[in-house]
This record gives sequence, C-alpha cells and structure tokens, in this order.
Amino acid sequence: MEPEGIALRMTAYPRENSGELAAFERIMSQCERRVLRVALRLLNNPQDAQDAAQEVFLRLYKHLGSLDETRGYEPWLYRVTVNVCRDIARGRRGSIGLAEIADPVAAQPDAYHAAERTQQREMIRRGLSCLGEKERAALVLRDVEGLSTREVAGILGSSENTVRSQICSARLKLRDFTGRLLRRRS
Amino acid sequence: MNCSKFETDIALYAGGDLPAGQIARIEAHLAECADCRALAEELRALVIGLRDEPLEDAMVAQIHQRVMAEVGGAGFSLRGALAPLLALAAALVLATVLLWPGHSPRHAPVARIARVEPSLIAPSPPVNVVPVRHRVVRRRRRAPNAQPGPPLLVQFVTDDPNIVIYWLVNQKPQGD
Repeated sequence: MEPEGIALRMTAYPRENSGELAAFERIMSQCERRVLRVALRLLNNPQDAQDAAQEVFLRLYKHLGSLDETRGYEPWLYRVTVNVCRDIARGRRGSIGLAEIADPVAAQPDAYHAAERTQQREMIRRGLSCLGEKERAALVLRDVEGLSTREVAGILGSSENTVRSQICSARLKLRDFTGRLLRRRS
Repeated sequence: MNCSKFETDIALYAGGDLPAGQIARIEAHLAECADCRALAEELRALVIGLRDEPLEDAMVAQIHQRVMAEVGGAGFSLRGALAPLLALAAALVLATVLLWPGHSPRHAPVARIARVEPSLIAPSPPVNVVPVRHRVVRRRRRAPNAQPGPPLLVQFVTDDPNIVIYWLVNQKPQGD
C-alpha cells in the first residue's frame, strides 16, 4: 500500500535545445521544494540545506545534457541530494543547528494553537538527527517524500528488503526518541 | 501478551509498507491488543508528522535566485562562456576596420575592386587611352540622325606580360 496524494513521481521533462536555460529553470521550479525539504530533513540546518540544494541544482545544470530525460530527473535529483547532504553532514559532524530552524508556523499569529504541532516538528527534527545516515535517508525519501520502497531502493542503491528494514527500524527509533522526550518534559 | 514480535510488522503497517498478505494478520492482532493499537497510532502520527515540514517561500526563492544567477551569469555552458568573448572579438574587429588609416566609409568595397592599382600597371606604355573630348549633351540641339561613336578601348598593361586588361566602352551618340 502506497501513500496517496503524492503526485510528484517520475515526470519526464521535454528538453529544449534552443532554450536549455529555460528548460533547466522549469525543472528547478518543479523540484526545488522537494530538494530543499529533503535537504532540510537530512541536515536539520536551513543554511546547510540551502547550500545543499544549490549544489544539487548546479550539478543538474552541469549534467542536464547527459541525463536520460525519458526516465525523469527526480531519481537523479534525490540521489544527488542524499549524496550532497551526506558530504555536508560529514563535513560538519557534531554541529547540528537545530535551534536555527525557524518554524514558519510558529511565527504566525495563531501560533498558540499550532504549538503542539510545532513541538512535534521539533521532536521529529531532533529524532531524525539521531538516526543513522542510511536509515534517515530511507525514512525521509519514504515518509517525507512519499516515494515507494522500490523507488527509494533505486535511489539509494539498495534492495527493497534493506530499505523496508531501514525504514522500519527508523520509525521505531524515532517513536522511542519522541516518547522519551515527551516523558521527560511531562 | 508478548507483542515484541509484532513491532516490526506494525511499524511497516503504519507506513503502508506491509505486504498485502500480512495485513489481515496484523489487523486481527491490533483488534485484540490495546498496546499494539497505541503503538500503531503513535507510528502513524509520526509518519504524518514527518510529512509536515513547512517550507518558507523565501528560502525556496533564495535558492532559485542563487542558482539562476550562477548558471545565467558564469554558468557551465560553453556557449554562454564564449558569448562575451565572441562579442568582444567582433567589436575589436569592427573597430579596427573602421579606424584603420585611409579607411573611408564612403568607398564601398565594390568601388575598390573596380579600381586598378597603379603599381600593377607597367610604366611603359602606361595606359593607351583614346582621348575623349568632354562634351555636354543638349538634347534639344541634338542632330536628328546622330550616330553612336566608335567604342573606346582602354588597355591596361600589367607587370605580368600574360595579363592585359581591355576595357571596351560604348560611346553615346554624339550631337552638335
């Protein structure tokens, strides 16, 4: 059973020989939120996530001509995003700037009513940062982006069974982490 | 009841990853186990919470601008990188042609081709030209039976004895 309502999927973008830049910008406009969201979930730091997203799209521009457009650009984009985020995370290991993440909902006037959601987001962010690299990537692609297990396996270069095992383990660890955090606060 | 063996399947079930053949077994267990139902609810809420990550539009716009500035300005495209250089080279060539000493925009290249350089013409005999008297044609006074004069023959002799240029010019009818 796959989650519904996620309509991104493997879209093939027509390529314009005479308007490479325009074609690139169109692809970026369609994918930039997804790339940034994955980067944010993987890095837990908005500045790093922005840097990662920028790097991903610069690489896309560089390799646009050599990519198989009939297969769509999303798998490639997700794979590069995971790799770029992994490199950035390894470069700044131990310095996760959770406090730097500004929650747009918290800044709204009705933030009081959204306090519970904000708290849950913060717990999830902290919980994600405690997961292993591969578990986190599998969980983000599956649960945040809603990709199928097969798609996640293709992006991460793993088998479906491995991905299923990783997301199962990651969910249980995340649930334990948030449970402990809630008990400590109460 | 020892439910630890169900944990893994419940975690998969909560995210919709449990194979179809095992769903009935897990749902049967959930129906009779409150703790596992609670676990399944927590995990389901967690999956929903994972998808709930709002993004600031400003962040997205900032990335868009940064990337487009990068690829639009000093991008990786060879064509894009060479375009300013080609434009500069074209401007230099044009400026050189226009500012070259002796260049006059009034002289079209076609006119230059028609000219014969003096150095190409042998000094002796330089040019044999049948002299033509300058005349002013006045139509009202032209003789009714005016005949065209004999054609003029202009001979250019060059340094190369094998190359002689003849220029045959038809004369207009002569009048008085």
